[in-house]
Amino acid sequence: MKITIQNLTKKFPARNKKGKEVVAVDNMSIEIPSGKLVGLLGPSGCGKSTSLFMISGLESPTSGKIFFDDQDVTTLAAERRGVGLVFQNYALYPHMTVEGNIMFPLTNMRLPKEEAKQRALEAAQLVQIEDLMQRKPSELSGGQQQRVAIARALVKMPNVLLLDEPLSNLDARLRLQTREEIKRIQRETGITTVFVTHDQEEAMSICDIMVVMKLGVVQQVGAPQAIYDNPTNLFVANFLGTPPINIFEGEVKSGKIYIGDEAVLDTEVPDQKVYVGIRPEGFIYDENGAFSLNLDHIEVMGRDKTIVTAHGKSQKPTVRSIIDSDIYVNDQSPVVKFNLKPNKVFLFNAETEERIR
Amino acid sequence: MANPENKNFFAKIGEKCKALWESFLALFKKKEAQEVAAETQSGEVFVGKELTAKEKFLRFLKAEQGWLFVTPALILLAVFTFYPIVNAFIRAFQENYNPLSPTKYTGIGFENFVRVLKGDTGTGGATFLQCLVNTTIFTFVSVPLSTLLALLISVALNSIKALQKAYQTILFLPYLTNSLAMGAVFATFFTIVGTKNSTDTVGLVNIALGWFGIEPIDWMKGGKGFVWTIGQIRIPWTKYVVVIVYEIWSGLPFKILILFSALQSVNKQYYDAAKIDGASKSKTLWKITTPLIMPMISYLLITGIMGGMKQYTSIVGLFGEQMGIDYDMGTMVGYIYRYISNGQMGYAFAGSLLLFVIIMIFTVINLQASKKKVTY
Ligand SMILES: Nc1ncnc2c1ncn2[C@@H]1O[C@H](COP(=O)(O)OP(=O)(O)O)[C@@H](O)[C@H]1O
Ligand SMILES: [Mg+2]
Repeated sequence: MKITIQNLTKKFPARNKKGKEVVAVDNMSIEIPSGKLVGLLGPSGCGKSTSLFMISGLESPTSGKIFFDDQDVTTLAAERRGVGLVFQNYALYPHMTVEGNIMFPLTNMRLPKEEAKQRALEAAQLVQIEDLMQRKPSELSGGQQQRVAIARALVKMPNVLLLDEPLSNLDARLRLQTREEIKRIQRETGITTVFVTHDQEEAMSICDIMVVMKLGVVQQVGAPQAIYDNPTNLFVANFLGTPPINIFEGEVKSGKIYIGDEAVLDTEVPDQKVYVGIRPEGFIYDENGAFSLNLDHIEVMGRDKTIVTAHGKSQKPTVRSIIDSDIYVNDQSPVVKFNLKPNKVFLFNAETEERIR
Repeated sequence: MANPENKNFFAKIGEKCKALWESFLALFKKKEAQEVAAETQSGEVFVGKELTAKEKFLRFLKAEQGWLFVTPALILLAVFTFYPIVNAFIRAFQENYNPLSPTKYTGIGFENFVRVLKGDTGTGGATFLQCLVNTTIFTFVSVPLSTLLALLISVALNSIKALQKAYQTILFLPYLTNSLAMGAVFATFFTIVGTKNSTDTVGLVNIALGWFGIEPIDWMKGGKGFVWTIGQIRIPWTKYVVVIVYEIWSGLPFKILILFSALQSVNKQYYDAAKIDGASKSKTLWKITTPLIMPMISYLLITGIMGGMKQYTSIVGLFGEQMGIDYDMGTMVGYIYRYISNGQMGYAFAGSLLLFVIIMIFTVINLQASKKKVTY
């Protein structure tokens, strides 16, 4: 099912007279194609959950519209939208068994008991918890609870599956495994899925489409690689990538990008003050390179190595550059020099922070 | 008040106490010092040193000092709770107990119990069995109904936003009202004042029934045609209705208070989840909300039943000291009071022991039944 969101806005009223009203989601317009896995990505408090709850119908928008295919569902009650939702803390009913939890949505559909049981079993098999059916949620691990929550959301064969930070309560190893699982389930069922995360790596690894948000405003929508390669502004560039992009204060003067006194790259951008963003993989080690940085130390990772340096114009205390591990780097010299890969260097207007190159 | 002598006196006491405390501390310190000295002399760590009796005692005091702190409470409990219980237990087996006679009682045995249970006490009025039936029916009808009603009211209260605090206060007010006064008010609600056929002197309930064309009934009197009889047991149902309505109403405030706060502590996410799962409002109430606050509901049922089995004042408030006609609305506690005041104390003791056992049985059954339902 295709989801269309038009100018969706959600304002929460101020708590008291002195407080300010919170604009949790600000004029959001996106289109989510049928059968895709879409990630809502952004830092904590940027309105991801609120957006998800508006799609589910648990929150009603202040203004704007939501369509499922061609049907306007903006004012449709949550229970009639046919969505499955996995809550951040799973919200499993503690007094019911796993089976009871999974079957609960079906009992509301007045399905015959035998059929309901059968479907619950199938949903449980999909997430591989069929052996735990008679347990109570308190007797399950975090990962198992999460699977039960997914099974409960899937069992009624929803048109749309919504997941709110589904992996945030899992340990690192389980998180890797479970995100593959979510991808697999989504592909097997073909359900249009929206999932919320603040972890860019998680979003990049499994999403078909990524929606990057900041303070309630959508910054960029696109395939993960496309956004990574073409961020629209400094925030998006900063948010994506591990290790994160290196940002320098710089200036464009007569067709050259200057960081400090050094002209590091040519450009066609008119003269102005800029932020220069350089991806860690955008550095080419060269003893005669145009860009010199003060060597701090070198981290060897096997496949590649990270040269950790410092620069007076860098926003962060350290600059990370990743190069092939075969390349010899003179670690005795206090200064390392690089040339830059033009497609890994972005320029942002120093005031608007919008991308200009 | 602050004369120097007084001040001196208190200062002296203070010094005495301090000195005592210090000598007390010194005892411990000395012992430690001795131990250390002994260890350094022999050059090895002591494992099983023989302790003197005094040291043993001090060590015991130090380890068991918790008892010291609970002693005051224990003494009070012993005097005002344990002693009366034990005493009642013993007296229940003493026949013809009379505190004024030199021998106090005439024999030991089960005579009191036999007579209480047979209704053969030589005094007229409601028997123990009648009181047991009264109490049990009052309790087991009013407590569940009152809890159910309290649950529904709490849910309603929880779902409104405007004036919630005001309603909460109003609903709690009866809790602060004297039960005798409430009883008197209820009695007038249900009664007929004046002649039987005049309709302008009936209570509120009869006025309300009149709207549906029902002839006024003197609920408080009952009388012929309003009594069911089962063997020896008489059930004057109109009076039962009055008691039960009163009990339901007077039980509400506390139950609402408890259930409302229980509802407020339920995580809102379960309601969201239920909505997503397509559950109707009533299904959410019975399948989600109620099980989640089951611990509180079962607490109310257990304490309600325990309290109901001990009710007394409400009956006196409604029906006066005679508890109806010839004690026919008497409760078990009422029965006990009656035999205390007429001097046949042996029956009162036996009755209270029986009451104790009955409450115990119900409580055990309750706890067993709720164990399965309550935990998750
Ligand atoms: N019920 C609410 N009442 C008031 N403010 C809220 C409410 N829910 C969320 N907010 C505010 O809206 C903003 C977005 O919240 P949320 O959508 O939960 O963020 P995220 O899920 O991205 O971390 C936050 O500033 C949060 O404080
Ligand atoms: Mg959130």
